[in-house]
Amino acid sequence: MKWVARTAILALLSLVAVGTRHLFPRPDVAPWQEPTAQYGAENAVAAIVLGARLWDTLLEVLVYALAIAGVKMALGGLGRARPLPPVPETPLLRRSADILLGPIVILSLYIAASGHLGPGGGFPAGAILGSGLLLLALAKGVERLSQELHEATWERSEYGAIAALLALGGAFLCLGFPGSSFLVSANLLITMEVAIGAWVVLHYFARARGEV
Amino acid sequence: MEGLSAFVLAIILVGLGLWTLIERRNVIWKLLGLNVASGGAILFLVAVAYRPQARPALLGLGPGPTADPLPQALVLTAIVIHFATLALALAYVIFLTEHRHTQDIHKLEREEE
Amino acid sequence: MGAVLLCALTLTLAAFALTRRRLLWGVIGVGAHSLALAGVYLFLAAPDVALAEAAIGFALVTFIFLLALRRTGRLVVAATEVYPLLYQEGDKIAGLEWEILRRFGQWVHRDVEVLWVNRADIPRLLAAGETDLAAGGFLPREGATVLLSPPLVPTQLVNVRCRPGPVGAVAGDRGQDHLPPDGLTYEDAGELAAALARGELGGAVVDLVRLRQWLLSEGTNKTHFALRDAEMTPLEDLAFRFALVPHETELHQALEEFLKTLASTGELERLITEHLQ
Repeated sequence: MKWVARTAILALLSLVAVGTRHLFPRPDVAPWQEPTAQYGAENAVAAIVLGARLWDTLLEVLVYALAIAGVKMALGGLGRARPLPPVPETPLLRRSADILLGPIVILSLYIAASGHLGPGGGFPAGAILGSGLLLLALAKGVERLSQELHEATWERSEYGAIAALLALGGAFLCLGFPGSSFLVSANLLITMEVAIGAWVVLHYFARARGEV
Repeated sequence: MEGLSAFVLAIILVGLGLWTLIERRNVIWKLLGLNVASGGAILFLVAVAYRPQARPALLGLGPGPTADPLPQALVLTAIVIHFATLALALAYVIFLTEHRHTQDIHKLEREEE
Repeated sequence: MGAVLLCALTLTLAAFALTRRRLLWGVIGVGAHSLALAGVYLFLAAPDVALAEAAIGFALVTFIFLLALRRTGRLVVAATEVYPLLYQEGDKIAGLEWEILRRFGQWVHRDVEVLWVNRADIPRLLAAGETDLAAGGFLPREGATVLLSPPLVPTQLVNVRCRPGPVGAVAGDRGQDHLPPDGLTYEDAGELAAALARGELGGAVVDLVRLRQWLLSEGTNKTHFALRDAEMTPLEDLAFRFALVPHETELHQALEEFLKTLASTGELERLITEHLQ
């Protein structure tokens, strides 16, 4: 049976390769300058993600939250017979995490808040904030960090962020677009959602498979 | 030149990833292959958006050819969703390892029969 | 020019990662490939996508793969399923070797995790450090570079011949050393038994424990291969053992010590009679 799949893949790829020649010469890009300015943005990608295709983005944020909830369900019941001893504090890692954490948070907030002006936006900013939390977890151990962060509150605020995002997006889809203030607030909410989701994934994985 | 080499790279990456998906029997290897294939698909869309000597679609960069912002906006969310679904798939791999004690797809399938 | 070079680098990294045999190298290679891919996006005038790919594809995806591979504080055992020694009952693992391993896990303060694999993959998994021990009716092949525990259960390798035809064995097992040049190898004992039942094989080289399993299951699930009238030639006296990587001397010492205590209290003998009566 495998040869069917192999031939199908080869046929599909050659079909795509043959089809790409219709992409040349490349057509002109549709004018994007005017609509982008209308949405109050300078970055056309941000204008599309949070303006023209806002429904798409809102529902993708929902898909993200659903997948994270699925991770929680799959790994929630798995525990260890013998809990691991806490991670010993390594001064070097701890100090460098302390020093680096501030800049990482500032950077991610800057990328989120300036997402409508230049490259950036809520999604990469959330991932950067998630990696910052990961760095802190490496230094302190996941369990201790989750206690210090009051994880239950954060998980609730994740659902709060989704609700706020949906409410904001729904309101502006019905009432018309107010401009860049919406873009900034939506980007910050998406950052929050993505970062908390990433942290929950890391925490549940670490709990099931051993400390980071 | 950039556009052409990106198209070639995208098609080869999808091929490599799907090949791994078929040939390997370990589910984690299969997910790695899927990861590479999805990278290839994203690269294909980004290459479609590219124009020769184009610059990013930002206002204030002045006149000149720019890349098409629409495919870029589409793949931006795709990357994030890919992370979430990959995490879900890996969570089920961990679940299977704990309950069925194997990561070999043949053994898992035989057990289901 | 730079874009073409970066594309070549991306492709090389992906090909390097996906052709590795060790999972850890695959994950690291795919992570590096993601970072190079982010560079390619920059050349294609897509800074937003490059930023997202670098932050997510490189950092988070690589990290969750590494966490899924991680087994801190566990004793991972690569095993093949053999009925009275090590087998799965519903969600639970049972058998003589499981009882020994469970007690050994308590002795070294680690959770024991069994992973069913093919017999032929065990040396590679041990050498790559993906598992700590090998068990489940383990009979070392000639020239295998593994550390062996003291013998647990004595057994015998026999050549079973039911009818004329080629002889089969499990790939990578001790029985493969005794195969004639035209012998066939199978992935595991179940497939070997199925081939024998289908009449593809005239005989097989197996140990007595697996033979007993076949005799017990004969008639239950369409496995008639007339084993009762088969001609059996004993080939070699052996014993089931656990296997470790050569550099795991500490674990090996602990295992030897543990088995010695188990034997001196009579517990080992009790377990053997309980499971193999």
